[in-house]
Amino acid sequence: MKLRKLGLLVVVLSMFVAACSGETASTTVAPDTTEVSEGEGDSLRWRTRPDNDEEAAVYAGISDTLAAELGIELQYEPGGTETAGYQQNLLTELAAGTAPDVFWLPGTDIADFATRGVILDARSLADATDHSDDDFYPGPMFHLTFDPDSGEAGGVLWGLPRDVSTFGLYMNVDLIQEAGVEDPRELAANGEWTWQKFGEVVDGIGALGGEVVGYGQSSWWGPYGYWINAAGGGFFNEDRSACALDSTESVAGLAALAEFYAESSVVPWGEDAEAPFRAGNVGLFQNGRWATPGIRTVDFDFDVVKLPDGPGGPSNWLFWGAYVINANTSNPEAAWDLVAALTTADVQAQVAESGANVPSRVSQAALDAFLTFTPPANNQAFLDGLSENPTAEGPLWAGSWPEFVSVMDAEVGAVVTGATSIEDYAADICTLTESAFTG
Amino acid sequence: MGLPQSSKEERLAVNATISSPVRARPGWLMALGLWQLLFGLGSGVAMGMVASGTGIEVIGTPRLVLLGALGLAALLALLSVFDIWRLAHRGRLIAFVLNLILAAVAGFFTLQEVNVFNGLDALGANFGRGLPFLAVMAVGWLVSGWATGVRPEWERALLLTSRGLMAVGAGALLLSVGLLPGLWTFLTRIVQPPAVIFLAVAVLAVLVLRLVKSSQATAAFGSTSKQLEVIDGIAFVSPNILGFLAFLGGPLVISLFVSLTDWDGLGEASFIGLGNYIELLTDPFFHRSLLNILFFGVVAIPLSVIPALALASALNMKLPGMRVFRALYFLPAVAGVVGVALIWKQLYNATIGYINYALLQLTEFVNLIPGLELTAPQPQWLSNPSTAMLSMVIVFVFSTIGFNTVLFLAGLQGVPPTLYEAAELDGAGVWGKFRNITIPVLAPTTVFVSITTTILALQLFSEPFILNAPQLSPNGPDNATLTPVIYLYQNAFERFNQGYASAIGWVLFLVIFAITIVYFRTQREDGVLTS
Repeated sequence: MKLRKLGLLVVVLSMFVAACSGETASTTVAPDTTEVSEGEGDSLRWRTRPDNDEEAAVYAGISDTLAAELGIELQYEPGGTETAGYQQNLLTELAAGTAPDVFWLPGTDIADFATRGVILDARSLADATDHSDDDFYPGPMFHLTFDPDSGEAGGVLWGLPRDVSTFGLYMNVDLIQEAGVEDPRELAANGEWTWQKFGEVVDGIGALGGEVVGYGQSSWWGPYGYWINAAGGGFFNEDRSACALDSTESVAGLAALAEFYAESSVVPWGEDAEAPFRAGNVGLFQNGRWATPGIRTVDFDFDVVKLPDGPGGPSNWLFWGAYVINANTSNPEAAWDLVAALTTADVQAQVAESGANVPSRVSQAALDAFLTFTPPANNQAFLDGLSENPTAEGPLWAGSWPEFVSVMDAEVGAVVTGATSIEDYAADICTLTESAFTG
Repeated sequence: MGLPQSSKEERLAVNATISSPVRARPGWLMALGLWQLLFGLGSGVAMGMVASGTGIEVIGTPRLVLLGALGLAALLALLSVFDIWRLAHRGRLIAFVLNLILAAVAGFFTLQEVNVFNGLDALGANFGRGLPFLAVMAVGWLVSGWATGVRPEWERALLLTSRGLMAVGAGALLLSVGLLPGLWTFLTRIVQPPAVIFLAVAVLAVLVLRLVKSSQATAAFGSTSKQLEVIDGIAFVSPNILGFLAFLGGPLVISLFVSLTDWDGLGEASFIGLGNYIELLTDPFFHRSLLNILFFGVVAIPLSVIPALALASALNMKLPGMRVFRALYFLPAVAGVVGVALIWKQLYNATIGYINYALLQLTEFVNLIPGLELTAPQPQWLSNPSTAMLSMVIVFVFSTIGFNTVLFLAGLQGVPPTLYEAAELDGAGVWGKFRNITIPVLAPTTVFVSITTTILALQLFSEPFILNAPQLSPNGPDNATLTPVIYLYQNAFERFNQGYASAIGWVLFLVIFAITIVYFRTQREDGVLTS
């Protein structure tokens, strides 16, 4: 008995000293040989939400390199996916005061965090360096520099965009050739890639029959929002202070989508379109750059084409997320240095190489590098989305984005599936979403 | 629990002292009183610091909770000073409880200050290195077990070997996990002022506890054996009580308070009374979630309970291979709900899922019959509002039926076989025995299974959260799978409405509580629980 007690004591003691004895594998320390720099001696934790394990490894490598370059002790923490509670964990840590010094936020969450004072206005820190807001795409920078007090952009700086993405249409080239329809890439190159041509291609592929369908998309706000935007409409009025889903153009865009789903060969609304596309059963699949790593594994010939031009002209979304600084960080200067270093063209090119996103810096070098990250061969399709009137995703500074989306998702779904008429939708939608603005 | 002889003598002596007009108070008693006075004043000062935000910056609801706790501690400590002066047992009891809590809290903050909790990652990374040596220690311990009942010279040799192995293993284990750097880190951290102070307070509190528990204190306070049992009982259950208060009772009280505020989880909370509850009365999303969960419960609970009873009856038969089937039916209960939901997500896929594929193949097979030209149904299991909740029911039933079956099986195996034998002699058939023996005897088990399944069903969260993502929000098509817990989660973590989310949680609690009461009442009226 005495022997067992002593053994237990040793085990408990060993666990205790193990917890106290040194750094973990995820901690990277600047080597002692690094030249003394301004930030030496600082220690930071930072976190992103990588799209896959490969990207997480890239970020870990970048963390090592930056630790040496900046002379900062860096601890990189790969965050979980959206469904694994990235925001939930972050919110809990912020409340408990244990959140990382620098972390990534989806573009739609910036307002919620900024107005609650949990992320730092880095304007003064940025102004002390050679930072320029113009180095990044204006859509994300509008929201990242929006001052809720003055109601204008430019005065503050909530962070810098980690990366951007646009929608493209992933094409099953084998199915397109088998169906004998016009090649969307050629139609796009000739400026003939319109909703009408798009419909013809989809129906042509669907005519192959069996399990093959012409088109698939997810049913969250991004894919259906494209139809609304491309018709010349939008979710909000110009200053994003009220709903514009009932405008003539917005309603026309949704009506076109509903008609398309009712009459064309498509993956049913609300069903997973990626799995059947990867199984070779879908001709065109609308998704962002983040889907590329998964689609690279398919065993058929695939490529990407830009989204078709709608009645309102070319349209796309500009998706983005940003690195922001914890308002309670003890090292704001070092945190800003890290944010700036994480958004250089070189670092963004390293991340973009894994395929899941597009550099957020307006840099020809970064974009040239991005074009080489194949397949797909036609990476230009994603860049076309950046240059052709994209609508930047963003938060609602004058309302609740999650509440707005919650109502919009259900109502749009009801129209597309035929449960609600487009007329009833147009009459009610802005009344139903009103609570998102009034609180 | 009898007192030691010396204690009884001391008590007699102290009783004699108490009965005398002037009672002498030993020095340790004065020290205890002073310590409690210090405790009360310290709590008061801490309360002032929290209230003014000087030195201790706590905001929002935790600030109010802390203020309440410190105020209560201060009052009790001062009361105990008065009681200790009067030699009243209540003072001893209060001193014991307060110092027990103080020791736990100061110990916790000591570990927090030396960063032990943040070292869990390091524990995971470093402890693995010592596992081979831990195995050596385990072998040494096993060898010591073989040393009994053997010849003396063998016993000596085995014990020597055992101790040698354990000593070598222990030494290697400690060195491999970083004994020296670990101790060095601990020592460098513990000498920092906050850690030293917390450690000193923890040690003092433990010393006071020993004093309060000592026989001389028993004698001085004239504590009866009943009163001593209370103190011993508190000591025994204190780990559980502290754990309950920290992880369940405390959060429950806090969430009740939060439900009366507009707290967003980050900033200050404003008290709004029943505002959140009143808003719930007119919230169409909350109403929809209640209707959804009501439908879900009405369908899913009977399907999880009744077939489980039938299955358990079948598995209770003495047939070859039954143990294999019992294990098979239990497998879904062992598997995590996330894993199960991910598998069902693949099965439900309307275009390439196995269920629709099976329906297609089955229809084609049936169509082989001349004259038949049936069209294969291809339900959109998850994306159609009319089937989405049904899909959740199927996954829920799949996950819970195995566990319920095991519970019924355990109940069935407690049924005396003589009851069935007697029934057979009376000419009862299979149905007669099931209806007149199995069901009545299993009634308490059925109540338990029904209640636990109801609670699980009304807290539905994981299935819609996983099955709908990422094509749909957890609400499902046209909010068909929106449940109260999903709505609670969205308000708490997506919309920064912690107060509103807490109110949803409490309403859901009341609904579950009411249903549970109805279950109990019904069964009590039927005489199930009393029998």
